Amino acid sequence: MTFKEKVKHTLVNELNLEDVQPQDILDDAPLFGEGLGLDSLDAVELVVIVQKHFGVEIANMEEGKTAFQSINSLCTFIQERNPQ
Amino acid sequence: MTRRNSQSWSSQSIASRWQHQFFYLAIRLGGRRLAYAFTYPVVCYYMLFRPGIRKRTRHYLRRRFPDHKGLAAFRDSFRLSLSFAKVLVDRAIVGIAGPESMDVRFDSMEEIQDLIDQGSGLILMNAHVGCWQVAMSSIHMLDTPVNLLMKREHGDVDRHYHEHRGMPCPYKIIDPDGFLGGAVEIVQALQRGEIISVMGDRVFGNDKNKLKIPFIGETAEFPVGAYKIAAITGAPVAVLFSRKTGVNSYALELAGIIRVNPVQDRGLENLRPYVLEFAGLLEGYLQLHAYQFYNFHDMWENQRAEAGKH
Repeated sequence: MTFKEKVKHTLVNELNLEDVQPQDILDDAPLFGEGLGLDSLDAVELVVIVQKHFGVEIANMEEGKTAFQSINSLCTFIQERNPQ
Repeated sequence: MTRRNSQSWSSQSIASRWQHQFFYLAIRLGGRRLAYAFTYPVVCYYMLFRPGIRKRTRHYLRRRFPDHKGLAAFRDSFRLSLSFAKVLVDRAIVGIAGPESMDVRFDSMEEIQDLIDQGSGLILMNAHVGCWQVAMSSIHMLDTPVNLLMKREHGDVDRHYHEHRGMPCPYKIIDPDGFLGGAVEIVQALQRGEIISVMGDRVFGNDKNKLKIPFIGETAEFPVGAYKIAAITGAPVAVLFSRKTGVNSYALELAGIIRVNPVQDRGLENLRPYVLEFAGLLEGYLQLHAYQFYNFHDMWENQRAEAGKH
């Protein structure tokens, strides 16, 4: 399993995205609003998930803006801070 | 938690800048008594000549006092509006003369400190009762940073208490219209063990994170975002209501502590028991202090519209 696939699986499982399969999530699609359709409460959960599963803290709003664009940007953000 | 969109309500003051300045001057020149005296003609004006303002008091009052019609209903509106006007004066006094000018009794400071000491942060859930700014000036004594999830209307001339003396803001304001509703800031604040203060009795804009709950005899909408945050972060929810108890005194009451269990699915229904608990606490408060509820938004509006469709 690639790191990107691992991130997608984690999101689907932890956010309980019942109607979404990890392979359905497009790498470049927005996580919020159109795209995966997450909302602001999911964002709260996502901050905790990234910290818990990947050991990376999203310290402020600017980092959140960078990380939460898409799966690609989230993976890049995590790997830059915690290469695994 | 909300999204940027149109709204059917506004928290912006109904008074103009000069009207606010007039009251600030009255407080500085004549103190509380003079400012209070001016509230009577002002409220009379609004009740008699601004029916739209009076109508906003009726959303709550006609449910709280369903038997009150005609003159009795008018008296209710007047009494609630006058009570609100005095709270606004008190808030300005706290700003102009300092928090020490108001006697705030709070018997549960140790319980709040114990909750903070648990290390998961604390969600302070308030409602539009009493004067939350006076409450905040008291909570500030805890030495724990307070973050206020609050939407402020652009161009609002109404001052917060700390702005009167040019004091630095004693709390950090998190804008629910900010990026992802301030999610990152909320989580970080709670993880630092800080306080997040939210209003539990008003849904912002078109926020979808809400539930319909029985409240004062009908179904009203309540926001659920704070409970979801509590479920995710493990932060306890302390329900804190303030009330005016005398001419220059308020009491802060820890009405209850809501502990939200982790939720296993995305449905909001899991959060219903907690919202019910809050609504029950608020209704209990309103049974005792009927004229200290200043939520002039029609919480029941959507339900009436839906009933009309059937």
